[in-house]
Amino acid sequence: MRQQVPYLMGVGLLALFVAFPFVYSAGDYDYIMHIMITAFFYAILASSWSMLAGYAGQFSFGHIGFMGIGAYTTAMFSHYFYLTGAPTGLCTEYQFGATWLVIVNPIGVTSTTLTQDCLRQAIDVWGGTVEVTSMPVWLGITLGTIMGGVFGLMVGLLVLRLRAAYLALFTLGFAEILKATISAEIEITRGQAGMEMPALFENGVTIFGRFYSKTDKVPPYFVMFALLLVCLSILAWLSHSKFGLFVRALREDQDAAAALGVNTTRYKVLVFVITTMMAAAAGGVQGHYVGIVTPNSLFLLQMSLVVAMAVIGGVESFIAAAIGAIIIEFALEMLRNSFYIGGFEVDMTLWRLVIFGILLMLMLRFARNGLIAPIINYFARGHVAGETVAKRDAASEAGLVK
Amino acid sequence: MIKLVVKDLHKRFGGLHVLKGVTFEVNGPELIGLIGPNGAGKTTLTNILDGAITPNSGTVYLNGQRIDQFQPYEVARAGLGRTFQVTRSFRRMSVLENLYVPALAMGRPDNNKAIHEKAMGVLEFLTMDHLRNEYAQALSGGQQKLLELGRLLMLDPDVVILDEPFAGVHPRLMEIIYAYIRRVNEAGKAIIIISHQMDSIFALSQRLLVLNYGDLIADGPPEEVKRDPAVIEAYLGVDDDEEETAESEVQ
Repeated sequence: MRQQVPYLMGVGLLALFVAFPFVYSAGDYDYIMHIMITAFFYAILASSWSMLAGYAGQFSFGHIGFMGIGAYTTAMFSHYFYLTGAPTGLCTEYQFGATWLVIVNPIGVTSTTLTQDCLRQAIDVWGGTVEVTSMPVWLGITLGTIMGGVFGLMVGLLVLRLRAAYLALFTLGFAEILKATISAEIEITRGQAGMEMPALFENGVTIFGRFYSKTDKVPPYFVMFALLLVCLSILAWLSHSKFGLFVRALREDQDAAAALGVNTTRYKVLVFVITTMMAAAAGGVQGHYVGIVTPNSLFLLQMSLVVAMAVIGGVESFIAAAIGAIIIEFALEMLRNSFYIGGFEVDMTLWRLVIFGILLMLMLRFARNGLIAPIINYFARGHVAGETVAKRDAASEAGLVK
Repeated sequence: MIKLVVKDLHKRFGGLHVLKGVTFEVNGPELIGLIGPNGAGKTTLTNILDGAITPNSGTVYLNGQRIDQFQPYEVARAGLGRTFQVTRSFRRMSVLENLYVPALAMGRPDNNKAIHEKAMGVLEFLTMDHLRNEYAQALSGGQQKLLELGRLLMLDPDVVILDEPFAGVHPRLMEIIYAYIRRVNEAGKAIIIISHQMDSIFALSQRLLVLNYGDLIADGPPEEVKRDPAVIEAYLGVDDDEEETAESEVQ
């Protein structure tokens, strides 16, 4: 029965998250819903990073970079690609029957002020007579996910021979180069101004007979929650398959695993591709939810936050990492409220990060496997020691153990 | 029949010539001891056979297949398995999971139930079945050595290289390792044992290979190798009594 407790707790949490948007009705509804959506976003990053670093031992500091690749691919797809009913004569365009695929020319940050791109010029000329359709958001997210996987494959191949600190430094360098490139390529990425992205449901959506506008929190809540569930399901399936067994062997001892027939190259690259695709998908959805993506989302601080969430939850359990991310995101928000001690204001917008840092240090010193993972382990593996002793005693009595 | 052919292996690390044209063959289920002083090149030879490093020149054929340019996992799948000088169990994985890894990695058509039953059989033989759900890190050093041997039983290679299997092992566990070696050998596998424990090596081996600073200086039956002056000078040394007798004879 004790072994079933984590599953029952999981079902309870699932039910809580499904019911939450409909049962919570306080005045800060939108704010809390926003925190929940952001928490799910970080839960995807932390759980996928836990598979990469905790299960496979590939301590990558570039995970946030892959999130950025997903977000920027999606953003650029929605920013530069359109379908029109007539040729613009100005843009790069390809005809498919009665429809033209138009690729808008990049004009940097001036696009909303002085200079117009080729499509806007054509739209002015058309005067509303030609239909212009944006690309489907879901297609953009899919492309972003694939692009994350492609970059994951490349980085995975490049870091094959790197271990521990060298791998961390390489991937950190990758994420920083990516951020610098995005910041520098103002013409294409609009630099620090960021790229605006359409909402997940730009024209609103009707669910079970109820209409939700594009600013409603319920649809993005369930989209992000569904993505989290899909990611966790994939991670659960992988961790219980031979993939999970092999990547853990890879973490424990790469040479020994190879000597036992494990194709370590394949599994090292595969775990990079799968987890980076998850990060990229989360980036794409988050970008559409927030409505803009900027190079700031790729800051090292963001990566540190993901690492801290996974470590505090328990890096060797993707479920613990996901729960840790949700708890930490809430805790960080709840700790925003400043207070006074003897007339002095304690500015918690700054001090919360100090508290968070101290918590992280305490975790690393006293609870290497985090706060949540040991609880799950207690229920899942707590019986093992007792069983071992009982079996040993039984074998001793039968004279089987010398 | 099992056939391992090692021909003219050379390995250099910078200016250090670690293996200088090592050549030998293993034919059938031989039980071979590989000995030599520290720095003789035993581990380098093992690492080349296992695919962890590639030789500068020379070839290794296993059952007619050239394996000296293979990756370690390809060598394992071709039929050569090894243990390590310092035990390398998967510490944060259960004992059973440690055994599942090679069985699943080989990609044989066995189903999970068959693999589990085989693993339980291996653990019973190693008298470790009561530890099956424990993490390997909870095992003693000797038990971890047994676990490494168990993984090789699951891999089921034609040629087994055991690197220092007796080092730091309790006499009771030593009996299990002896039984293991005999069982694997009787199952038709070739075994190469690297060890500094001469009693064990001489008790078990049918043939001895002696490496000395990259040269294979002897290859033959243990009793013959024991009397080889080059081996005595390089590695085994002379008993004090014999030395005194020799000195008095000279005088």
